[in-house]
Amino acid sequence: MNQTMLRATVAQCKAELLRTVRNKRFVIFSVIMPVIFYFLFSSTIGDQDIAGTNFNAYYLMSMTCYGIIGASFTTFSMRLARERSQGWIRMLKITPLPSWAYIVSKIGAQALINLFIIVMMFLIGGIGKHIDLPVSTWLSCGAWIWIGGMSFMALGTLFGSMRNPDAVQVISMIVYMGMSVLGGLWMPVTTMSATMQDIAKALPTYRLGQGAWNMLSGGALDWGGIGILAAYVVVFMVVSSYIMRKQEAV
Amino acid sequence: MKAAIQLNGVSKIYKDKKAVDNLTLSIAEGTVVALLGPNGAGKTTTVSMILGLHKPTMGTVKLLGGDPGDTRVRDRIGAMLQDVSVIDGLKVGESINLFRSYYEKPLPLAYLLKVSNLEAEKDKMASSLSGGQQRRLGFALALAGDPEVIFLDEPTVGMDVTSRQLFWDTVRAMAGKGRTIVLTTHYLDEADSVADRIVVINNGKIIADGTPGEIKSETTGRVISFVAGPTVKTEALLALPSVTDVEWSGRKVKVFGTDTDRLIRALVEGKFDMRDIEIHSGGLEDAFQALVQQAN
Repeated sequence: MNQTMLRATVAQCKAELLRTVRNKRFVIFSVIMPVIFYFLFSSTIGDQDIAGTNFNAYYLMSMTCYGIIGASFTTFSMRLARERSQGWIRMLKITPLPSWAYIVSKIGAQALINLFIIVMMFLIGGIGKHIDLPVSTWLSCGAWIWIGGMSFMALGTLFGSMRNPDAVQVISMIVYMGMSVLGGLWMPVTTMSATMQDIAKALPTYRLGQGAWNMLSGGALDWGGIGILAAYVVVFMVVSSYIMRKQEAV
Repeated sequence: MKAAIQLNGVSKIYKDKKAVDNLTLSIAEGTVVALLGPNGAGKTTTVSMILGLHKPTMGTVKLLGGDPGDTRVRDRIGAMLQDVSVIDGLKVGESINLFRSYYEKPLPLAYLLKVSNLEAEKDKMASSLSGGQQRRLGFALALAGDPEVIFLDEPTVGMDVTSRQLFWDTVRAMAGKGRTIVLTTHYLDEADSVADRIVVINNGKIIADGTPGEIKSETTGRVISFVAGPTVKTEALLALPSVTDVEWSGRKVKVFGTDTDRLIRALVEGKFDMRDIEIHSGGLEDAFQALVQQAN
């Protein structure tokens, strides 16, 4: 990799970050909403035990996942859809920016954004609610949500492959809210009926949360859960690259 | 002279339509070429294939001696494409700097802002610019890498008169520095004043190729038009020296002739009932119309 390509990748990554931070949806759904929800629910439900851990810690993980998923679903997919509908991708194709640099910068920017959300949530929640966890648990939970959360970029890409940015906005919002509620990010799955719990277990949102919840109660990562999450990634990647290829085959 | 662009027997076939039909074209380095043609003639498709955005169904395309998809080739080209908007969430200066980062030897930001006349808009969000300003931003992005070959697809659509003036001045300056420029435009006077070669395309084929002067002289071109009184008859006009055709629209008549100097004298001496006399020397517009009509 030469100097120019490195510089271009970094600049592209910086541009992605700027576009995200300036996006009101990002601020609302990935920053303000998780924080408000967290304090609202942890204050009303209070200091009790759930799934072998304290609710305050449990729900902090839920809301951190919620914020991260929102960043991929609503803002990452919108950026993609806009770029495509406005011909920007075509414009980039005639520049010397290699397509790998474009993809790397997108993933790199999203990784930084997700990391920011995790650190912010852990700081605000941890300090605000005096959550007392071993450093190793903070780190392992954070690392899991960070790495596991990247898988939602695949679904964001699928939304972004749709032609109409307005439709992307509506559909990604419905799926985002639906999957978050059904996957037990808003209310723990233990409060749900047996059928609803079965549905939750099939969702990637639940699987992301589950990894962190398990670690809170001293459990290990659930490989079955990782498998389900990975399966979603593969399916969404295949479908979205098929759609994009079809759109571009002219 | 070396060819900056070389098309050999290039065709592009969509489902049932031949957009470009066996096109062979060589564009020498340092020339300013205007691709003209009616809507749907295949100009944009041709440009897209030269840029590597579309693959030709048949034939080969060479850009700067290489494959248009090659990163090293792309480092030396720039383009203003149609239907490309600005990127959301970035300011004008940020957009330009992002593009500058892609190239080995970018032009300075200050220069790009100056030639696109966007100095005052540097810190504005690109998406808040007017249509003409967005077009100018597109121009700055096209020039960001100090390209050797510049593609301008309908570049001045939406620009106001002042911007257009500055735009063409900059393009001329670029041409003066030996840059190769390929443009498509609907404004024929622009093509006439900037291009040193004009290629007319219709139905995916080249129907004329030459300097603006050559293209104009290929057609008869000269017309005398006037509002005729009731005594003026077509037969009488056709009998006049050098007249090739007569065309009526209401009481207004257009008399086509190869020698309008003799014709006007004959019209006056023949005491034809005429008002509002105009003599048009055939511009590129007329030549273009005539060529496309002939081809159809």
